[in-house]
Formats: sequence, C-alpha cells, structure tokens
Amino acid sequence: MTHVAGEDQDVAARVDGKCPVIHLDVSTPLTVGSYWQKADELREGSPAFFNSIGQGYWIFTRYEQVRDMYQHPEIFSSESITPWEPDPAYRFVPTQIDPPEHSKYRQLLSRWFAPNAINQITPAVHELGRNLVAGIAPRGECDFVSDFAMRFPTEVFLTLVGVPASDADLFVPWVEEFFRGFGGDQAQQAAMMQALGGIRGYWAAALDERRAEPAPRDGDLASHLLHSTVDGAPLGDDLILDMLVVLVLAGLDTTRGQLGYLFRHLADNPDDRHRLAAEPALIPSAVEEALRLYTIIFGDGRKVTRETDFHGCPLRKGDMVYGLVAGANRDPRVYDRAHEFVLDRKANNHLGFAGGPHRCLGAHLARRVMQVAVEEWLAAIPDFRVATGEPLLERGGGNMMALFSLPLAWEVEGA
Amino acid sequence: MKLTVDGNRCTGHGRCYTVATDLLGFDDEGYVTARGQVTDVPDNQIPFAREAAGTCPEGAITLIGD
Repeated sequence: MTHVAGEDQDVAARVDGKCPVIHLDVSTPLTVGSYWQKADELREGSPAFFNSIGQGYWIFTRYEQVRDMYQHPEIFSSESITPWEPDPAYRFVPTQIDPPEHSKYRQLLSRWFAPNAINQITPAVHELGRNLVAGIAPRGECDFVSDFAMRFPTEVFLTLVGVPASDADLFVPWVEEFFRGFGGDQAQQAAMMQALGGIRGYWAAALDERRAEPAPRDGDLASHLLHSTVDGAPLGDDLILDMLVVLVLAGLDTTRGQLGYLFRHLADNPDDRHRLAAEPALIPSAVEEALRLYTIIFGDGRKVTRETDFHGCPLRKGDMVYGLVAGANRDPRVYDRAHEFVLDRKANNHLGFAGGPHRCLGAHLARRVMQVAVEEWLAAIPDFRVATGEPLLERGGGNMMALFSLPLAWEVEGA
Repeated sequence: MKLTVDGNRCTGHGRCYTVATDLLGFDDEGYVTARGQVTDVPDNQIPFAREAAGTCPEGAITLIGD
C-alpha cells in the first residue's frame, strides 16, 4: 500500500471529534461471522469513522449513508472501488466509469444480464445444477465451496456468454488466484496479475477467433462486443477485454461466496431447509434474505470528487470512502428482527447488489443461480449437515467475503 | 391508489416486478415498464404495490393516496 506521510497528516488534521478514528485491517481471514459482527459494532458506535490504516479512508456504517453514497456518483466516483488502493493497476469497465459515460458501456451489456436473457437460459441452468449435484450426491460428503459453489456459477456464466461450460476448468483457478491478492495482500500481487493475464488472454484469443466474421454470433457476448459501437466507433480490443475480464471477476467469486453462506445456513437450520423443500415458491425470498443478512460485500469503496460535507464528515477531493454494506443491510433502523434470518421477509430493500447507477449488472443472474442451486440441491440432498467441529474461516472483508471451505455430509441410501 | 416510479432513481434492481407480478412488468433491459410513469393500482393489488415500494433499494417508488 502506498503511504504518503504528508497526505496522512493532512487528512488527520481534518478529522474532528464527531468522527471517531479507528485503525482497522479488513484484509485478514477470521472465523465465520466476525466481519458482520464488526460491521454491527461500527454501525452502532457511529454513523461515520475515519480509518487510519494506509493512506486512510472514511467509513460510513448505516443504511441511509451507504445508499446516499451509491446514489451520488457525482460526489463519489468509481474511479477506485477499493479504499486501500486509490489508484488501482487495473481498469474495470463499466465498473470504474462514472456517469454520463458509464451508461454507454453499461447499455452494451444490460440486455445480456436482464431477466429476459436469464429466463431464456434457466432450463440450461437447471440442467447444469442437476448434473453437478448428481455427481456429488452419491458421495455422502463434499467441500461445498470447491465442489459446487465455485463451479456452478462459472459454468452458468460461460453458458450465458456463449463459450463452453467446460472452460470452467480454466476459469476457476484464475479467479481463485486473483482474489488471493485483490483484498490488499501485498505478497499475492504477482500471482493476482498473472491470473488477470490468464483471463485476459483467454478472451483475447476468443476475439481473434471471431474477428473476421461478418456478423455477430448468436448468443456470443465476445462476438457481440466486436460488432458493437460507442459514439459511432468500434470499442477496440482493450476496452472489450476490460469488460469481459470484469464480468468474470465480479460474477463468479461473488456468487460462490454468497452460496457458501446460504448453504451453511441451510445445513444448520433444518426447519428452513424443510420449508423450502416443501414450498419452493419461497426460495426467491430466502435468497434475498441471504443477500441481506449474510452480505458478502463488507464494504464498497468510492473516491471523492469535490470538497463536501457528508453526514458531518469534511470530505475533500481525492479522499477515499468505504460504505459498509454489511452494516447497512443489518441496520435495525431499517429492518425488524435485523439479525434474524426471516425466510419470508417482506420489504427487503437490501443493498447487497449495491445501488445507484452501478447496481450489480449480474444481479438477476446471481439470483437465478442461487435459486436453482437451492432447488436442485434440496431435490437430491434434502438433509445435510456441516461436517466439521472446527470453526469455519472466512476470507477478509477487503475482498468480497467467502468461506474458504464448507465441509458438508449427508446420509446416502443403501450405503 | 396510484404508484409512481422515479425514473432518475430506478436502476433496474427488479425487486418491484418480482413481488408485484400482476401489477408491474419489465422491459428487455430489466427496467420496470412503469418507470417514469403514474400507474393506477386496482384495490386487489394494493398489498403488492406496498410490498413493491418497500422492497425497492433505491426508494424510487411512491404510493399516492395510500
């Protein structure tokens, strides 16, 4: 992390008594639930903090502030979304593009990830899920994270963008390597950049293969982007690759993380499991509740574009801020029984998919993947338990949070 | 009752048309078709309109006459 002493002092001088200063490292792995507990403590302690780690950044802890941050991209730029790295070495498009340019790029992708597109591939999603579960069920045990939660969203995503699902063999290790470094672990930066190179190289080869074709291939996103224009000009390879790479990074690891926590809940709560098996119509609301209560986005970063007073914090241009999404989604000012899993919760307006113009492009896809995962798993494996007495570990909140491992076990008939 | 969707705030989360399937529809990009419009809410749809308003992460939905 870059550390500029002069800037530190400058920011510290502006932090007055209204805004407590903390020194919090969010990159370390902890036992499951620790990061949500930390989010709860921070939120109830103060609506805003200044975190003195690295070059320092502001933290907003409550629903109202986090939504405000998302809804004001003119103040909170997405130029950097990681507050510990104000000038990242990568560029995600459209993730790191601000309005008004943002929508030009977003529109190229939005139909591909809209409900109509997801509905169209849903039969294939069921088939992929059913096949994966069928391979696992006779074993009576698995590591849910590596055997299912990473593999399934990867196969679905590749199907949606029109490349072979079996290329998950390549993507799964690349994504794993990338996220070893993304959360701020300096020792992993070289491996992270190498994985990024692997993903980019895959798509560069795909572009070369499609480049000479006179018309876009049906259901093939890389081909579609080659034939797309912005402001009348073709996108060019660099921009197309920036887009294809971020889809991989934003979509696969996140869904894996969310699935892990959801299935840990189902393993530990037979009543909820049985109710969902009996009433599959409740599965969508259970998925939303998992996104709220077991938020994998500890926080989301933005870069301040101009001097402003935000909920009492004297922000200046170039400051980094961190909206604590996990704090917002568990805010008792917004939710009754905020710390309970309410399977049929009403008015669940969680920010698990962010808000404002950068609302998660893949939200509709992620929901469908999780819904189908629950449905297909419960159909084949209605009862299962966490098969370890050891505490489960979660990856630090500097990344999207995820369980490293979730050993599950179940009885196999006739075994 | 009437329902409005603020077109500047709506970003296509899709929560509203998922909980109020008979009242609200969606377009090819996943936006609710009632975006930027005033929609009449029949009496039998009032509970769904309330649920749609409460579930919007952007706070984009306003109920008039509730």
